[in-house]
Amino acid sequence: MKVVENTPTVHNLVVCTLCSCYPWPVLGLPPVWYKSAPYRARAVADPRGVLEEFGTDLADDVEIRVWDSTSEMRYLVLPERPEGTEGWSEADLTELVTRNAMIGVEKAKRPMNIGRNR
Amino acid sequence: MNSAHDLGGMHGFGPINPEPENEEPVFHTDWEKRVFGLALAAGFLGKWNIDMSRYARERQHPVDYLRHTYYENWLAGLEKLLVEAELVSPEELKTGKAAGPADESIQQRVLQAEEVAEVIAKGSPVAMTNSTLPRYNSGDSVRAVNRHPMGHTREPRYVRGRVGIIHEYHGTYVFPDRSAEGSKEGRPLYSVRFTSEALWGESASGRNAVYVDLWEDYLEPA
Repeated sequence: MKVVENTPTVHNLVVCTLCSCYPWPVLGLPPVWYKSAPYRARAVADPRGVLEEFGTDLADDVEIRVWDSTSEMRYLVLPERPEGTEGWSEADLTELVTRNAMIGVEKAKRPMNIGRNR
Repeated sequence: MNSAHDLGGMHGFGPINPEPENEEPVFHTDWEKRVFGLALAAGFLGKWNIDMSRYARERQHPVDYLRHTYYENWLAGLEKLLVEAELVSPEELKTGKAAGPADESIQQRVLQAEEVAEVIAKGSPVAMTNSTLPRYNSGDSVRAVNRHPMGHTREPRYVRGRVGIIHEYHGTYVFPDRSAEGSKEGRPLYSVRFTSEALWGESASGRNAVYVDLWEDYLEPA
């Protein structure tokens, strides 16, 4: 398995255009939308449009890297660490990481999303 | 084969409409759970590999593939495999009743409930010992070969004929095109970076790239 890291200038997104390859041992079975024709068709050609549908807006200068899982290699996205989490424990940070963030359709939650002040 | 499963870049499917993550069940109906279990259990009989399973789903009529839900495609593929492996006759499939007991060799391989967690965790190894040195290095410019095999392949249509850069050499892995025919052969596998402009021309959205895992047979120097 490969872990691909999001940074202020790079955002990663995982898809399997040919079937439904997905890191089962880590994330479980994939959601319906991941296996659906619209996602598989559009993720490689219009990733920005796909991300917008998930409510994820990226700055224009961010490079989107789409990982098409055509082999048995599996891909997992390491989300960018949200601002205001300096000094947080691993357990606290875990609360911010969603499955969708590890597929790359969303960013990690921000502290305010889980009711914590920055 | 050039069929409906090869979806990258297709238009007209409409919005994705994802269910919210915290509201989505693993299975939406009981039969989905049953088909999933049945397909995995039947796979452990050892009559086919993962590439043969994929190829069985791909060989449906394209209209059926697109019309079906995900687990309907799994079921269609499983029925094809069961009949082709002569584990089930077309008549048995039609009636839903076994004409007789399975062969002793099959009965001995039936997965038992207490073995499931272990065999699932173990998976099926696909990495192989390196037999040949990789032809390409990171940074090399390569073209995805413009080929249209009738059999199974993992070279998506949208990269064929396009030029990319070797991002990384993964090692030697089971080659799906031969694996779907039942032959286990290792070939060098690479991650190849294609710019969205190389793939989609003027309709590319922004400064993006697609990384595709491609076996050496799918590549030529560019």
